[in-house]
Amino acid sequence: MKSFFWENLRIALSELWSHKTRSILTGTGIVIGIIAVSLMSTLINGVDGLFEESMKFLGRGNLYIEKWPWFGDEDWWTLRNRPRIELDMADEIKERSEYAMVVAAERGRSANLSYKDLSAENIYIHGVTSNYPEVSTVDVEFGRFFTESEDRTGAQVVLLGSEVAKTLFPQGNPVDKMIFAGSKRFRVIGVLAEMGKFMGAFSNDTQVIIPLATFNKIFHGPWGRRSITVKVPEHLVEEAKEELRGVVRVLRGLKPEEKDNFAINQQNAFRQTYQGIKLAIGGTGMIITALSLLVGGIGIANIMFVSVKERTREIGVRKALGATRSQIQGQFLIEAMVITASGGLVGLIISTVISMAISKFLFPATMSFGVAFMAIALSAAVGLFAGLAPARKGAKLDPIEALRYE
Amino acid sequence: MSLIKVKDLYKIYQMGNTEVRALDGVSVTIEKNEYVSIMGPSGSGKSTLMNLLGCLDTPTSGEFFMDGINVATMGDDELAHIRNKKIGFVFQTFNLLPKSTSLRNVELPLIYNGEIKAHERRDMAIKALTRVNLGDRVSHKPNELSGGQRQRVAVARALVNNPAIILADEPTGNLDSKTGEEIMVLFDELHKQGNTIILVTHEEHIAAHASRVVRLLDGKIAVDEATNRGKP
Repeated sequence: MKSFFWENLRIALSELWSHKTRSILTGTGIVIGIIAVSLMSTLINGVDGLFEESMKFLGRGNLYIEKWPWFGDEDWWTLRNRPRIELDMADEIKERSEYAMVVAAERGRSANLSYKDLSAENIYIHGVTSNYPEVSTVDVEFGRFFTESEDRTGAQVVLLGSEVAKTLFPQGNPVDKMIFAGSKRFRVIGVLAEMGKFMGAFSNDTQVIIPLATFNKIFHGPWGRRSITVKVPEHLVEEAKEELRGVVRVLRGLKPEEKDNFAINQQNAFRQTYQGIKLAIGGTGMIITALSLLVGGIGIANIMFVSVKERTREIGVRKALGATRSQIQGQFLIEAMVITASGGLVGLIISTVISMAISKFLFPATMSFGVAFMAIALSAAVGLFAGLAPARKGAKLDPIEALRYE
Repeated sequence: MSLIKVKDLYKIYQMGNTEVRALDGVSVTIEKNEYVSIMGPSGSGKSTLMNLLGCLDTPTSGEFFMDGINVATMGDDELAHIRNKKIGFVFQTFNLLPKSTSLRNVELPLIYNGEIKAHERRDMAIKALTRVNLGDRVSHKPNELSGGQRQRVAVARALVNNPAIILADEPTGNLDSKTGEEIMVLFDELHKQGNTIILVTHEEHIAAHASRVVRLLDGKIAVDEATNRGKP
């Protein structure tokens, strides 16, 4: 049987070669379908990677007590009118909660920085407690983090994000240099390791970190983000969240009938929302892809019927010379599969190029071997299904009638 | 053992309410290395007989043994194997694959044989083409050949698998008389070399090349006699 495969492949290739325009037009449907399917999978993989990468910034066991929930459809005005988070609750929470392992507080707002004649504008100033490294992924590359006593006394020390360090100190070591944040002088005590962007958009490297007490001393007023991060054991997050809710309600003196006037955010909220979006995009993509492959397959089936009809006499000759039904069927099936597999290959090459471009300019999206294999297998399968009916029709022809066909 | 043994062969078609007896009880025996022509006016059943002898069709009833094998009750694929191994066809309209070279056309029966390696196929095909004096036309396509050359490619294709019979259906019908005569000379030679040849024709001078003529009329054998050539 092996020799028939090569023989049929040879026939298919010469047949397709002699009808170049027709073959290309027919294959184009499959090319488009395969581009859609492989690009879609590659993009979803890429976004997945990006998402997981971003999720590292939010520890799995972290609960964030904030004014605003990250997701949800609560009334904006109600949320707007909630009291802001009192960061001094942190100590109380640590005391009252059984699950809390670390409780860190933070505030943030933007400001302009300068060193000598260099300046960095709109830099996110992050005021955090000295235990902040325990609840986040910040990593000190040079120098050191500030101590608890520096936090307590409101020392004017700062750690620079890697981008900020590059902007203000293009050459040389920033440690121990004095920079200005507005009119206040800060001593640089460390530089943070590069962290990358959150969701491909918000850079974590354009921030600076100062002690929370220092922040409170310098920046007054209600603006900016306030959050208390409670680190709990990862496997007890849900229980801890309930407990924490109770603790905060007590601390805020809420009556039983009153609603929560704070939000407890967690990584899961991102995950659930992301899964929902991914499912919607993926599902729509699947339908579009399936439709385009279906249309492509119909085109192939159509052209194969034409091909069988045109070659009725050839089929008659082959049968007279001893070709069996399965050999004729195989010939046309392989022809259909050659069209779709080449279409698939072309589609794959095009989508590889597109995904390389996306990787370069937007976000990491590499075509995986699995996606490539699936695309080729899928296109061959489309050929198989589309070719089946025409091939059977050809195989069943009566040799006498086929030989007489004009 | 006779090469072909046909007994009480019937082929009956149902055309609406009427029954058409294309073959109405035909019995004929053909020995190895015979040279037989089958003649008859159109509608006499000669095409039907040829299709049955060529194993392209099965009879409604009757016995048909080829080389001792009962082919009357065979299925499609079995018949295909018989055609492949036992029969070499030569058609009036040549029936070559237009996009394939002479070599590829002649190789075709060997490809469907399934047991012959590519280089052997090539050798056998070239040999067959040389036998019909087309050793120098192996890589030509049918449209680059004259009618006579095309029919000789078809003869080479019929010869290549060493069939038990060569079945030629009006082999000169699409050729001018001179070229037709050349083809008939080729058949005469093949006969001399030991091949069994069955010619289907309506032309007396073509039939005269054979040593025996079977004349059909209304689905029955009317005459079965030796030609002048076949007479001792």
